[in-house]
Amino acid sequence: MRWPGAAVARHEFRVIATMPGLAIFGIVLPIVLVSMIKSLLTGTVGSGGAGGAGGVQIAVPGIAVAFAAFGAGRLGFAFFRDQAWGTWDRLRASPASTLEIVVGKLLPWAALSLVQMLGLILVAAALFGFRVRGSWPALVILLLGTATCLTAFGALLTAFSRTSQQLNVVNGVCGVALAALGGALVPTSALPHWVAVVAPATPTYWALQGLHRVVLQRGGLADAAVPILALLAFTAGFAVLAAYRFRFEESKVYWG
Amino acid sequence: MDGHVVRGARPIPAEAGRRSAEVILRIDGLRKSYRGVEVLRGIDLRVHAGEVASLLGPNGAGKSTIVSIVAGLRRADAGSITVAGVDALARSRAARRMIGLAPQELAVCPVLDVAGNLRLFGELAGLRGRALRARIGEVAAGLGLDGLLNRQVGRLSGGQKRRVHTAMALMHRPRLLLLDEVTAGSDVESRACLVDLVRKLAAEGAAVLYSTHYLPEVEMLGASVVLLEAGAVLARGTVPELVAEHAVATVEFGFVDPPPVAIPAGATQRRGNVLRVATADPAGTIVAMVRSLGDDAGRLRSVEIVQANLETVYLALTGRRYSPEGGGAARNATGPAGATGRRP
Repeated sequence: MRWPGAAVARHEFRVIATMPGLAIFGIVLPIVLVSMIKSLLTGTVGSGGAGGAGGVQIAVPGIAVAFAAFGAGRLGFAFFRDQAWGTWDRLRASPASTLEIVVGKLLPWAALSLVQMLGLILVAAALFGFRVRGSWPALVILLLGTATCLTAFGALLTAFSRTSQQLNVVNGVCGVALAALGGALVPTSALPHWVAVVAPATPTYWALQGLHRVVLQRGGLADAAVPILALLAFTAGFAVLAAYRFRFEESKVYWG
Repeated sequence: MDGHVVRGARPIPAEAGRRSAEVILRIDGLRKSYRGVEVLRGIDLRVHAGEVASLLGPNGAGKSTIVSIVAGLRRADAGSITVAGVDALARSRAARRMIGLAPQELAVCPVLDVAGNLRLFGELAGLRGRALRARIGEVAAGLGLDGLLNRQVGRLSGGQKRRVHTAMALMHRPRLLLLDEVTAGSDVESRACLVDLVRKLAAEGAAVLYSTHYLPEVEMLGASVVLLEAGAVLARGTVPELVAEHAVATVEFGFVDPPPVAIPAGATQRRGNVLRVATADPAGTIVAMVRSLGDDAGRLRSVEIVQANLETVYLALTGRRYSPEGGGAARNATGPAGATGRRP
């Protein structure tokens, strides 16, 4: 018997594939934003401070993490959508377990988040001369950890939301808060002191710590270990809270 | 074990006359309450391999609640359910492997094509590659969807969507099919197609629990009947058994104004300008009535014989005409096109 969660994941991929704009805009929009703010951030790293690449070395990881945070809650719409279509009960009545259904639905969104961050990095490398000076495996693991962690955070938001509007509002507020407090939009060094104090309480901070070590400081896997562990801890925390709050039988209202 | 008796002294059998050796669905003492309101009051039921058991009753009778609990979507307060010998409450997942559910509300993925919708449930059953494609083709052909496999479901007609909705429940060759009002809102072609399919699946050995509002559909399916009323089994049996046991033909005399007071003695009921007489001899009753009316015969506007059928069974057991909305006395509410089983 094959793992039923894989069937759910493949189905979710097929549904996501009917919305190609979602993935494309998830790369195009950050690129546009990077092109706008990279010169602003040059002063933050110092002219040529990152091997001559300037602000783009700060802007690309920051915007990648920021957009992953903004999009954390969009996976929730997969749950609301299934409730609206009536397919949620069909899945529940299928041979798949609760865990398999939930994980199967989350995996494609984590993959999409990863692809968008990697896509942004590759396009930025081609267009703006963005360079990864450290270990690529470390970079990929950090991005994977970030995508997984923010997907778990999205699952938590979904578990607490009963209507799609609630999810929309909470996702917007939390996405901006995580991006700002973690230093994804503007480096924490340029923000008030209290932000630097609270920043370590956000997963985005640790994602950026790891990315900066790899991108700016020629870091390897060992240098990224602490941020990766922090991301894993956040992931576990979000997953436990989401599992505690998630009600398999609860009706979610797509609109209303 | 006996079912919960609502009316009448005789216990209600949990199973109907049509038999196969193997009991696929066995329900004993099933109870469920919502916010203190008891919606299932001790349901006992057996459905055998090859049997179509029709859950029949007005809205609120408990049909969908039974289906939901068997499918593992709701928890029972008390009672036991086994599917092909597997305890469906304790080992829900193992039981669900043998169950195909088509819920009451349309449940399809509108942005995918027909094949994409079927693929999910084929893959959940462990099918891949050639076997999956073959099964998709087979199920689609059975429901007349083979020419629509690449069509987006959201663009199909209501009846076609209903067929896709039902097809999704068949992908894993379930031993127990739970079909909850699958023909609701269907066009004539889709309704006929679905009814034919259900008969075919039962002939191949599946047990089918078929919830419906429509009395004529039960007779078309050759289904046994589980007549539900307010969360309890009112009657259980095949249509001929129930008719023989509970129903007699009725003659309805329509007058231009209220019926005369002096009429022959017998089981009569007055409603407005209509006089209803329950009788085993409709022709003799008509002759006797016309004779006895004398001069009042000129006030007679119509005479109808209502043959003994499921509707008269319901009338005999509850004292009121069947209405899908429940509790009412709607005259033409027993079928999608107002079919009432009447004979002029």
